[in-house]
Amino acid sequence: MGESDNKEEKINRSDFMKATIAGIGGLIGIAYGLPAVAYVIGPAAKQGSSDWIQLGSVNKIEMNTPTLFKAVVETQTGWIKSEEEISAYVLTENGQDYIVMSNVCTHLGCRVRWVAEQGEFFCPCHNGVFSRDGSVVSGPPPRPLDRFESKVEAGILYVKRGG
Amino acid sequence: MLANIGDWLNERFGWRSVWEAIFLRKIPHVNWLYTLGSATLFVAVNQAITGILLTLYYVPTPDHAYDSVVYITTQLPMGWFIRGLHHWGASAMVILTVAHLLRVFFYGAYKFPREVTWMTGVILLIVVIGFGFTGYLLPWDQRAYWATTVGTRIVGVAPVVGDWLLRVARGGDELSAVTLARFFGTHVWVLPAALIILVGMHLYLVIRNGISAVPGKDE
Ligand code: HEM
Ligand code: FES
Repeated sequence: MGESDNKEEKINRSDFMKATIAGIGGLIGIAYGLPAVAYVIGPAAKQGSSDWIQLGSVNKIEMNTPTLFKAVVETQTGWIKSEEEISAYVLTENGQDYIVMSNVCTHLGCRVRWVAEQGEFFCPCHNGVFSRDGSVVSGPPPRPLDRFESKVEAGILYVKRGG
Repeated sequence: MLANIGDWLNERFGWRSVWEAIFLRKIPHVNWLYTLGSATLFVAVNQAITGILLTLYYVPTPDHAYDSVVYITTQLPMGWFIRGLHHWGASAMVILTVAHLLRVFFYGAYKFPREVTWMTGVILLIVVIGFGFTGYLLPWDQRAYWATTVGTRIVGVAPVVGDWLLRVARGGDELSAVTLARFFGTHVWVLPAALIILVGMHLYLVIRNGISAVPGKDE
């Protein structure tokens, strides 16, 4: 079947087949390609969940006394879930505004403890001392206790994950 | 421009004659049943693509296999689609391979000079079934676990060496992390390598010997 057989026809059989195969092939390529791309980039496109972690009711916080809260934070990376307990001291001076401080010493990461009699935080590792609002009183800690961003909703205190 | 590049490459590769040998070869007047082999090949390619994508997330250890599969189907965009294609493709593979075999058998297309094509085909069928058997365990759910417990027990029935074969298949007395790992390795390395080599031989022979014609009424 040479070209000469099909002189009159606008499109011959062979060209029609070529176009059809290319068209269907292209569609199949897209049907695989687009889902594949979505599937591969999926985990990267997912926003890091900037969740609010629930600490507890603000009722139990005494005025001017740092109160210890504990919360379990669940994180999921891929199919692996892990739980981490975070602890934070919460201070309020007016019952309206809350300062949420990490209990991790800014020196080398030991846990600080509120000692009510002295009215200060003590770190047992190298005798770091922090005041009520977390600023350094004495010892090696280079900066005040880290703070969490926080909010109160319907009497419940929340802190922001990772900060 | 494109044609020039094509010519330039052709002078060095001679790929046009390869193309012609594959796609412009003469074939007898055949029917739709002759597409079953190509259909099988198409699904095999589907299995390769989707299988490779699945290994991007799947982890073949008892503590992560199931969770990673759930993650693929429920958390990833299009994960259900990719896994679905691989899952249903597996069944399609077996059905199409057998249908193709039946066509070849009833048309007597296995006769001289195509005996070796048939033989590579038989091994391909075993490879396809092997894919199904090893793949079935990988989700590591109850069904997978018990199906493989029963399935491996079948080799234990073999006379004399049965017990020993059973232990080799499982990598021990019981199904374990060892079983899962060796099934995975077989599924993604051993069998694909065998499939590629055998399909290569199979298709070479199909092209080399040409396709048999539809047998006549009195043949
Ligand atoms: C992965 C599995 C297989 C693939 C991808 C495959 C692929 C193909 C293709 C594309 C053809 C061309 C003609 C046609 O489609 O009918 C063919 C022909 C053939 N196949 Fe297969 N095949 C497979 C399994 C088998 C099995 C299980 C057998 C038999 C035991 C077999 C025996 C043959 C024979 C004898 C021919 C030559 C037929 C003829 O010349 O008319 N194949 N195969
Ligand atoms: S770790 Fe707290 S003072 Fe050194």
